[in-house]
Amino acid sequence: MKTKAVLIEDYGEKVHVGEVDLRDPGPGEVLVEIARSGVCHSDLHVVTGDLPLPVPMVLGHEAAGTIRAVGPGVHSARAGESVVLSWIPPCGSCRFCLEGQPQLCTRAASAAMKGKLLGSDAPFSRAGEVVHSFSLTGTLSQYTVVPAQGAIPLPEGVPLDKAALLGCAVMTGVGAALNTAALRPGQSVAVFGAGGVGLSVIQGARIAGASQIIAVDRVPLRLDLARQLGATETLDVNEEDPVDGLLSRTGGYGPDVTFEAIGRPETIVQAFNAVRRGGTAVIVGVAPPHEEISLNSFAFPSQEKTLKGSWYGSSDPGRALPKLARLVRSGQLWLDPMVTKTYDLADAPMAFDDLAEGRVGRPVVHIGL
Amino acid sequence: MARFETPEELVEVLGSFFDVVTTLPQAHLIHQVGGSIEFVYHKPEARIGWLPTPEGPHPFAVVRGALPASALLTFEQDGDTAHRFWQGNLNLQDALARQLVRARGPLSRAMKLIPSLDDVYPEYRRFLEETGRRDWIS
Repeated sequence: MKTKAVLIEDYGEKVHVGEVDLRDPGPGEVLVEIARSGVCHSDLHVVTGDLPLPVPMVLGHEAAGTIRAVGPGVHSARAGESVVLSWIPPCGSCRFCLEGQPQLCTRAASAAMKGKLLGSDAPFSRAGEVVHSFSLTGTLSQYTVVPAQGAIPLPEGVPLDKAALLGCAVMTGVGAALNTAALRPGQSVAVFGAGGVGLSVIQGARIAGASQIIAVDRVPLRLDLARQLGATETLDVNEEDPVDGLLSRTGGYGPDVTFEAIGRPETIVQAFNAVRRGGTAVIVGVAPPHEEISLNSFAFPSQEKTLKGSWYGSSDPGRALPKLARLVRSGQLWLDPMVTKTYDLADAPMAFDDLAEGRVGRPVVHIGL
Repeated sequence: MARFETPEELVEVLGSFFDVVTTLPQAHLIHQVGGSIEFVYHKPEARIGWLPTPEGPHPFAVVRGALPASALLTFEQDGDTAHRFWQGNLNLQDALARQLVRARGPLSRAMKLIPSLDDVYPEYRRFLEETGRRDWIS
């Protein structure tokens, strides 16, 4: 079949909407009609070349939609089912899947780096040439084919047109707060970067009962959104140094936990330097894989600081999604304020521009019904 | 014990293998990188470069030693790491994360080649067999 999709042809070029071929779902795969897809900074990083995935590529990895067909051997899903897509569909047999860390699935990670699916080539093509999928999903498309275990049933009570964010920003950010950092009531928290993931960390911190949530960013729109979603204070880095600013807001100690949700070496270092003695800096943002950071080595033993990574919110998406849905239904997790603008598929390239310029919170592309 | 005992041995083995790579269908992909690639080895110390040769008989030439000018992309690694990588026994993403491989330059352009390397890894194993190094294969 044919499908219209948001494509990147080569790094540094503008994305565009074009038509590609989409094969039928193979064994263990499902065909999904996409309803809504978010645009994430990670999609932008492919455009800039900072996230070195193979091109040409169908972008997008945060989506909700409806299964339209299942491939051979699929018994866990059925046509007509509403789903949220996971960009790390677990293989179920590698060490990490077996030991309860499916977000670290090695087979999924390897497939993502190659722009393929689990055990099969990417489902998109054009004139007989492969067009890769972003992280086993490729959701900025009318239709996509994904591994069946990556299409997670959408629990009742979460509208399909709002559910897309659960697939990446919310899973990643709320998970970082509740799983990776295991925040406790009364803790003080700083979040570097108030984009989709950072705003979700802020919500997770609020849900966990953190008493002080400081949003750190340079874009006024994002700082406003952060306040709406639970930040108790904001720090504009255009006006003050973030490390000094966080120390002054926490009695000179630094926050109990810091989160870096941008993916830049300098802010990773700042998050570590700002956290209090005995505190934990959680790195959620995806920096380019060849970048390195320099930290004071004495700080580790003498200050007992912890530097911790967080991938997909340290979540098992199949188990996490129902919990997130309950948080949405109970009114604790707010999706609407995060979506400040929606776009039709034809205007999706504008969403990338708006995201790059900081003009939106989380842009969402309205693709299907 | 290191796989390559001397710089000369490393250059002989990997350099000769890279000569084979220049004849493979995948060799033309170097043009997607847009410039030269230099492999900087430690343990033992050696350098081998891939220099695009649009007018040459092959898509690139293998330069044993330092390239005449700065490379667009540089990969720095131990000889053992290289030996594992070309057998297909090293996940590049993991290797970068663990600093077993350090990359400088536009890494994304090199990562375009990753999907094609699945067809190149068996060629290194075949090369090792054909050059009497079957016991090197792991």
